[in-house]
Amino acid sequence: MAGGRQAAQMSHLSKMERVVVSMQDPDQGVKMRSQRLLVTVIPHTVAGSDVVEWLAHKYCVSDEEALHLGALLVQHGYLYPLRDPPSLVLRSDDTPYRFQTPYFWTSTLWPAAELDYAIYLMKKNIRKQGALVGHEKEHCDQLHRKLSHMWDLVVMQAREQLRAAKQRRKGDRLVIACQEQTYWLVNRPPPGVPSILEQGPERSFCAAEGVQMVRALHMLPTTLRTCLPTPTWGLPIRPSILPSVHPSIHPSIQMALDPYTERPCSAAGITRPCLHPHSHASALTSCLPNLLHWVQIKNTEFYKWEMERCRKALTRARVKSSVCLEAYLKFTSQHGPHDPIVSGCLPSNPWVTDDDTYWTMNAPSVAVPTKLRVERWGFSFQELLEDPVGRAHFMDFLRTEFSAENLSFWEACEELRHGGQAQIHATADAVYRQFLAPGAARWVNIDSQTMERTLRGLQQPHRYVLDDAQLHVYMLMKKDSYPRFLKSAAYKDLLAEAVIPPDAKRRVFPFMRKPPHSSPSPALLPASTSGEPVAVASGPECGDGDT
Amino acid sequence: MAREECKALLDALNKATACYHHLVLTVGGSADSQNLREELQKTRQKAQELAVATRAQLTAALRDRGLGAEERAEFERLWVAFSGCLDLLEADMRRALALGTAFPLHAPRRPLVRTGVAGGAAGVAARALSARSLRHEAEGDFDVDDLRELEREILQVSEMIHDMEMKVNVPRWTVQARQTAGAELLSSAGASSVGAVSVQERTGPCDLSKALAATVFSAVLLAAVALAVCVAKLS
Repeated sequence: MAGGRQAAQMSHLSKMERVVVSMQDPDQGVKMRSQRLLVTVIPHTVAGSDVVEWLAHKYCVSDEEALHLGALLVQHGYLYPLRDPPSLVLRSDDTPYRFQTPYFWTSTLWPAAELDYAIYLMKKNIRKQGALVGHEKEHCDQLHRKLSHMWDLVVMQAREQLRAAKQRRKGDRLVIACQEQTYWLVNRPPPGVPSILEQGPERSFCAAEGVQMVRALHMLPTTLRTCLPTPTWGLPIRPSILPSVHPSIHPSIQMALDPYTERPCSAAGITRPCLHPHSHASALTSCLPNLLHWVQIKNTEFYKWEMERCRKALTRARVKSSVCLEAYLKFTSQHGPHDPIVSGCLPSNPWVTDDDTYWTMNAPSVAVPTKLRVERWGFSFQELLEDPVGRAHFMDFLRTEFSAENLSFWEACEELRHGGQAQIHATADAVYRQFLAPGAARWVNIDSQTMERTLRGLQQPHRYVLDDAQLHVYMLMKKDSYPRFLKSAAYKDLLAEAVIPPDAKRRVFPFMRKPPHSSPSPALLPASTSGEPVAVASGPECGDGDT
Repeated sequence: MAREECKALLDALNKATACYHHLVLTVGGSADSQNLREELQKTRQKAQELAVATRAQLTAALRDRGLGAEERAEFERLWVAFSGCLDLLEADMRRALALGTAFPLHAPRRPLVRTGVAGGAAGVAARALSARSLRHEAEGDFDVDDLRELEREILQVSEMIHDMEMKVNVPRWTVQARQTAGAELLSSAGASSVGAVSVQERTGPCDLSKALAATVFSAVLLAAVALAVCVAKLS
């Protein structure tokens, strides 16, 4: 029931609501009991064990999973325990629980408004004769400062709500008070309890919505645009829930709005009912986020854009998913043993044991590469070139074959591509003189067409002027020199000499082993001693500094 | 005086909003019924009438250029409270619409949530309308038409709020509320006895039991006086 972008992030809430509603079924729902207080009897109580059993039976899951699912329901406030003190945990025994009224469901009433919280705290204050404690008292003072202009309203509303509650039976009053208390337990948890409704930083939803809003505005006919006062964009869209997502609302909004239109809708160019320009600007602004879903003018421009889009889509290259997936499978099976997370890393994971031998052995330029690394050079030419040690060995091999200028040329082209803009002219010149000029010292063998094109391009050199030549040389090396390298004696020697890092030895006395834990975070180290953090960070002796 | 009238209207609107909030709490729960929807409709229509009347009075008062600074501050305070109240009412109306659509009463798609609230809320609605009791005249299909009405009314209320914001310029930050932090505890003698979580509480309204006690006591007193007179006469 939340509107707009919140619905996308709150899909887990609607799933939970469906579970709760299916629990209410009179035949197949959960077994209900009654709660007996001193004089009153309040119906509709469920026991924790009943909930777990029903979930396990309905969804055919294990008891553990049903317990976890039930705990989620309780944490989000759809079920609340009746025993004091109220803590939102699900116990799989006789503890009684009750269902939360839909008004206080997280999706209906989210985000929780400050004014409502102030009224709730005020009510509690009145009931307890000013004996609010702890975080609630702090919040109350904070809200008094924030909402000082509205404090009259807060006090008046609190008093009136209490008086209205008095008109009910005692049992109902108790239930309603418990419901409200649960709602605020979920939305304003006491300190120390993690907030279940916390979401990560807002992702691209915000930016996308902003752009779309502007687009929707430009698509409106000019008459409507002029009647919208420009400060409207600055007015906050009130957090009251907009009944937008529910599909049955739209036809009824049509019916509600139609009596107010004087113009036929087709003339205005909107397919959905248009609003009378002078009287319903406010309705428009309050429904603005919903416009993203249903204002779409189907005029000629829109169709031209659609045709262009379809035409572009036709010319796109497509790969069959079977082909993609095959390549993907091949890649994962080949690289599986090389992945440190999947297959473990020898000698040991530095993040766990504080022993960075793994990193020193796999440093970019190391004298003796590990066996896994040497094997990786055989997977593809790209792997070989990317590894500095591999590239060096390949260069040595090419020297023995008297074709080292290919690799040098390739490296020079890379330098041109990734170098600074100011040096392009000089670099291109140097490359031409060294590799491409007729009679150059290290002349590279490129076919005539590519050579012509490159020479023509070198009149106005830019970053990518040598791309064709570079690709030609790359392909040459890949098809010719690379397979020979893999079959050569040099490579086989490398494989034989490569070192396999030994596994971390287990100590004889287990209790003397360093406890595996990560280094203490610098934030927790004492700020006074500046020499200490340096010493601690360098060596692996962090066993003393307990986090 | 204009100020007293405005204050009285605002109090009435406040009462109606609080009662409406209290009624909307139970929509979709086990206490939901056609009667409840009817009570909701009556309460919100009363609240809207009060809102229109208050707004007319307050706008007239604030437009008056010849007001003193103190009076103006007073009216601005009332204005801020009024617009806050109207915001609360509109929010509750929207939620009532969402909940009413999600839990329809006519063709039961979803079973109502068994929340444990079973009693009727006629007393609450009667309090909002300042009537003694409420007569229920709802037919079977009441909630379908009611929802359409509700949408129209929501649009009207939002339009009213928008008009208010555009036409009257009362900056919120200059208004100083009259109530201090502990003010609510002073004059709430009646409300303090509402220990909603305590079990040892009287069920009936205070007035009725007090009247009953008074009658019984006076009857006993009269009987004692009559006996004393008889004894005096006989002896």
